[in-house]
Amino acid sequence: MARTLAMFTDTSLCIGCRACQVACKQWNELPLEQPEWTGGYQNQSHFTDKTYRLVRFIEKPKPDGQLQWLLMSDVCKHCAQAGCLDACPTGAIYRTEFGTVDINQDLCNGCRYCVSSCPFGVVSFNHDTGRANKCTFCNDRIHNGLGPACAKTCPTESIQFGFRDELVPKAEKRLAKLKEMGYTGAQLYGADSNGPLGGLNAFFLLLDKPSTYHLPEKPLLPQRNVLVDSLLSVGSALLVGVGAVMAFRDRGGKEGGDGVR
Amino acid sequence: MEFVKTPDWHLLIVWYFFIGGIAGGAYFTAAVADNFGSDRDRGVFRIGYTLALLLIGLCGILLILDLGTPSRFMNMMGAFKFWDPMSIGAWMLGVFGLFAFLSAALAWVGGEARAPLRRKLSLLGTIFGFFLASYTGVLLSATAQPFWSEARLMGALFLASGASTGMAAISLLLFLSGESGGVGYRKVKHADRFAMVVELVLLAAFLGLLGSAAAPITSGTFAPLFWGGLVAAGLVLPLLLDLVGGRVRVLGGLAAVLVLVGGFILRYVIVMARA
Repeated sequence: MARTLAMFTDTSLCIGCRACQVACKQWNELPLEQPEWTGGYQNQSHFTDKTYRLVRFIEKPKPDGQLQWLLMSDVCKHCAQAGCLDACPTGAIYRTEFGTVDINQDLCNGCRYCVSSCPFGVVSFNHDTGRANKCTFCNDRIHNGLGPACAKTCPTESIQFGFRDELVPKAEKRLAKLKEMGYTGAQLYGADSNGPLGGLNAFFLLLDKPSTYHLPEKPLLPQRNVLVDSLLSVGSALLVGVGAVMAFRDRGGKEGGDGVR
Repeated sequence: MEFVKTPDWHLLIVWYFFIGGIAGGAYFTAAVADNFGSDRDRGVFRIGYTLALLLIGLCGILLILDLGTPSRFMNMMGAFKFWDPMSIGAWMLGVFGLFAFLSAALAWVGGEARAPLRRKLSLLGTIFGFFLASYTGVLLSATAQPFWSEARLMGALFLASGASTGMAAISLLLFLSGESGGVGYRKVKHADRFAMVVELVLLAAFLGLLGSAAAPITSGTFAPLFWGGLVAAGLVLPLLLDLVGGRVRVLGGLAAVLVLVGGFILRYVIVMARA
């Protein structure tokens, strides 16, 4: 496998210009969709089959009652342990040699299991094609020596593209600087490869706790439940089995010996 | 605000879960009757194997229809992921179908000479039948959905319900064909009562372990259906009817219908609470 690629989204640098959202739409030829009234500047309210990059406009009240904007360009996390990938029954969702997660559209059969298995609500069902869609990490671009369209176009370098082992130290340095500047709530999300889901290949620097940005505090791999729940099912089978055998067994000739073999 | 997206699974999936449970339960009941019962239980295992075979066929049709583009079902056959309930479930449905076909064929045309083979085959096939009845619950709990992923006994509960509805389906068919006076019918009823008690106990444990996370089915829109349709009319009432009305045959038939309706409601409220 090649060196793992990553995107580092530093929300402290985001100005909410949505150039990434537009670049993503244009490069990936994602069609127009019905706008959604979210009560603020954000549009759409969540990822869709036509919105792979989404700038979140979080309005957070300050102590003086004024509203403060927290801006974040959100995207598929390309998890090192990806629930969607493990859930996919056709192998359509696969890991590229760069460590990113992509969906082979020709193989997807539209079962929607990945949609229900993404801890972040990223994967979306496309009703026109009957298949699942999400950020491809611009798979075509990275195989031709280009960065993802969103990172390329970001005017403030809020979205940075590079090798994961180079971006993480950079992010840690930036975090230390922000802490020094008094941003006490600043934290990295998904940078730690020993953290939840084995680390996220699209990781973030947040200025507040993850839930403020509509991110789960501790995302879990859905497949963690398979073994325990299967064993409990075996237990249930044994219980029901014993009952049925007891009901059907011929009891000492009480019901006649015609069936004794 | 919720982070996760729901899969948009609707009635086809509910029907698939329900019918897969009956198929697994009916096959298991037939296998027990075949291996541990007497010759007088012949009607039970013949009905059980045949019903399982027909319902597995229906299961396949439901799964394929749900995909929208039926031919894409073949994409599933290009992968085998043993840790993935959806992948292994599709494969096991096929394997179970093969077992049900052989068992049904041997039950009708095999004759007594093939009976030992049929019995051994059915014990192996029961494993796949149990799998079909329970994996759908494990499939739901292996998602990122709140409620589904927090429920530890979903597969176990679906299995007990599958066994119970499978027995109810067999007893209903025996009742309708006028064989409700036979030994086989009494035994199926006896086994079904046991399965219903197991299901009730598992359901209580399921709700207890979930605590407030069970709210999507125990309170709100689905609460009347869950408490009235499943717990009261689908479990407690048929148990009472079977115990009290042992001599009035029509009550036995009614109990079987109620168990089947309850089994459908169980899958319906659980799937639709997140769909």
